[in-house]
Amino acid sequence: MIAVAAGTNRIDPYLIPALDGVAYGLLVFVAASGLVFCFGVANILNLAHGLLYAIGGYTAAALLDGGWASLALALAVGVLAAAAAGVLLAGLLTPVATGNHLSQALLTFGVALAGGSLLVAGFGPDNPQVQVPAALEGSVLVAGHRYAAYRLVFIVVAAVLAAALYLVVRRTRAGMLVRAAVDDPEMVACLGVSPARIRAGVLAAAGALAGAAGVLGAPIIGPGTGTADTVLLLSLVVVVLGGLGSMAGTLLAALAIGEIQTLGVALLPSAAPFLLFAAMAAVLAVRARGLAGRWRAA
Amino acid sequence: MPLTTPWRSRALTAALLAAVLTTSTACGDDAAGTSAGGSIKIGLLASLSGTYQAVGTEIRDGFQLYLDTHDGKLGGRQVDLVVADEGNGAQTAVPAATKLLKQDRVSALTGIVGGGSVAGVTPLLNETKVPLVGSNGRPELKDVSRVWHTSYLSDEPGAAIAQHVRDNVKGSVYAIGPDYQGGWDELRGFTDAFGKIGGKLANADGKTTFTPFPATTNFLPYFARIKASGAAAVYTFYAGSAAVDFVKQYAQSEIKDIPLYAAGFLTEGGVLNAQGEAARDIYSVLNYSPDLDNAENRAFVAAWKAKHDGSPTTYALASYDAAAVLDRAIGAAGNDPTPEAINTAIGQLGQIASPRGTWQFSTTTHSPVQKWYLRQVRQDGRALSNTVVGDLATVGR
Repeated sequence: MIAVAAGTNRIDPYLIPALDGVAYGLLVFVAASGLVFCFGVANILNLAHGLLYAIGGYTAAALLDGGWASLALALAVGVLAAAAAGVLLAGLLTPVATGNHLSQALLTFGVALAGGSLLVAGFGPDNPQVQVPAALEGSVLVAGHRYAAYRLVFIVVAAVLAAALYLVVRRTRAGMLVRAAVDDPEMVACLGVSPARIRAGVLAAAGALAGAAGVLGAPIIGPGTGTADTVLLLSLVVVVLGGLGSMAGTLLAALAIGEIQTLGVALLPSAAPFLLFAAMAAVLAVRARGLAGRWRAA
Repeated sequence: MPLTTPWRSRALTAALLAAVLTTSTACGDDAAGTSAGGSIKIGLLASLSGTYQAVGTEIRDGFQLYLDTHDGKLGGRQVDLVVADEGNGAQTAVPAATKLLKQDRVSALTGIVGGGSVAGVTPLLNETKVPLVGSNGRPELKDVSRVWHTSYLSDEPGAAIAQHVRDNVKGSVYAIGPDYQGGWDELRGFTDAFGKIGGKLANADGKTTFTPFPATTNFLPYFARIKASGAAAVYTFYAGSAAVDFVKQYAQSEIKDIPLYAAGFLTEGGVLNAQGEAARDIYSVLNYSPDLDNAENRAFVAAWKAKHDGSPTTYALASYDAAAVLDRAIGAAGNDPTPEAINTAIGQLGQIASPRGTWQFSTTTHSPVQKWYLRQVRQDGRALSNTVVGDLATVGR
């Protein structure tokens, strides 16, 4: 009896961090998938990706007032604004050759710095507070533990978003067209599709994803001066851990990051500052192809 | 999916970028004051841009309020206040202070939000022989001959509340705080005093848990450990946006019913508005509360509310008191209030009447020997406010 009690006690304290890791991981997935999409499929290195998330976050902080209507409005505005910023980026990237990562990095990093300054100038240097719908403000009981209601709902919404993304990529011809444009832009142009428009479409889609993540994730990774850097950093770690080859790899990497940041911190609080990069270094050392290789083979 | 450039090179690019991004840079900008002759010149250095803008603004406004309510005079002399921007730290504070001290030739310096800025500016004070009456950050200093503070030492809030926690909490206390100098000092003040009077920490290894700062925005993993430790109460110190995250997440977590004690900055000023209902019932220790019942405070709060929304904070109060200190010291420095004469006069002020109650400078640390108050976040009219519920120890050495 005592042994059984001790057994549950050993796992019990870590239930909530593990659950929270899923919420955090799904947020990282939605935020990072846009970058992976740009980088892996269209071969555009977009260092302003974090900025697109921050646009969504600031939109949420500015528009949310505790009601459901404001959430819908913030989501619409955030997605549109971030997608528009993506199209703007595509326009700026027009003279840069596809695959010229250095020029892309310099250009998009400059845009990220300028955009970040504009956001701070517009919204102030303080981290604005985000007001979630009143019905989700409280906490609910999960297996005898208290957990924030918003995060629980977020897990469901983000999972639906991830599933929808998977279906869109798998079941539509858009992805195929994008890859065709990368491999042989002239041939695609012959088919009557402008590569520049495809590039704009990819960046708009990536922006929309980041914007949606920014609005919905604002209560978890809130808007602030460091948000763009944090999200870009996490997205790049996703690329390193999960590779560019498959959505499953991206999802697995994002969930791993989520668990490392929550369950890992709960288990080894003293190692909290290094866990993420220790994991990244370990994956790079053991398996230079990232987790993705195994997933493709499976 | 086909890849157009080798995956390996892209992984390397991403890894390198990730490494570069972990080191971030901070920048701020300088602001210039005006110069004029005839009256006494005082330099005020505070963060008017960057992370600590809210605190810096309170410090500027607190000093200005004293001038406005005293005909713009300190010690009977018309004040020419030269304001400069401290930015985010010593990197921007030292050039700004250099300008105030060497170009504007101010007779005294006040303000300064960051402890690091104070440490950076101190050598300049000895070089130019100008006193600093600081109103916020106070690092460990070897030489305080020209440094005075109207605020507090970082380890004093914790030391002041330790006895109260020991008397009122039946069980062990979990100590948690941010992993930087300010956090170490705040938490050490509590754990040292608490341990001396027989208090027991609930932390697994008997040591304070420090969270990476400012990287930690999700405190749930730590809350799980607090829950598992069986603590009867929690003692903490956070400020700014970390304080908002901590308090909001605490109120929604499984340890929401464990009493939370904190250094007052957890619920001070603007962060309390952002925390809202989540902050209700939190106990905190601070050297000031706007509802203190004395004549100086009633006048101070009324004058503040006439010009600003909301109640004054401890930051505004400390700056108001810095002006009061300079007022008396300049008056006592005689016909020729040189910086040296002002510095000597500050050391001979004795008791200083203040909205926080009467206090005096410690002869060894040059920071206040003052009373600390236990406050609780309670309903006050339509808003939540830090309400004084009792007196704690008088601390200072």
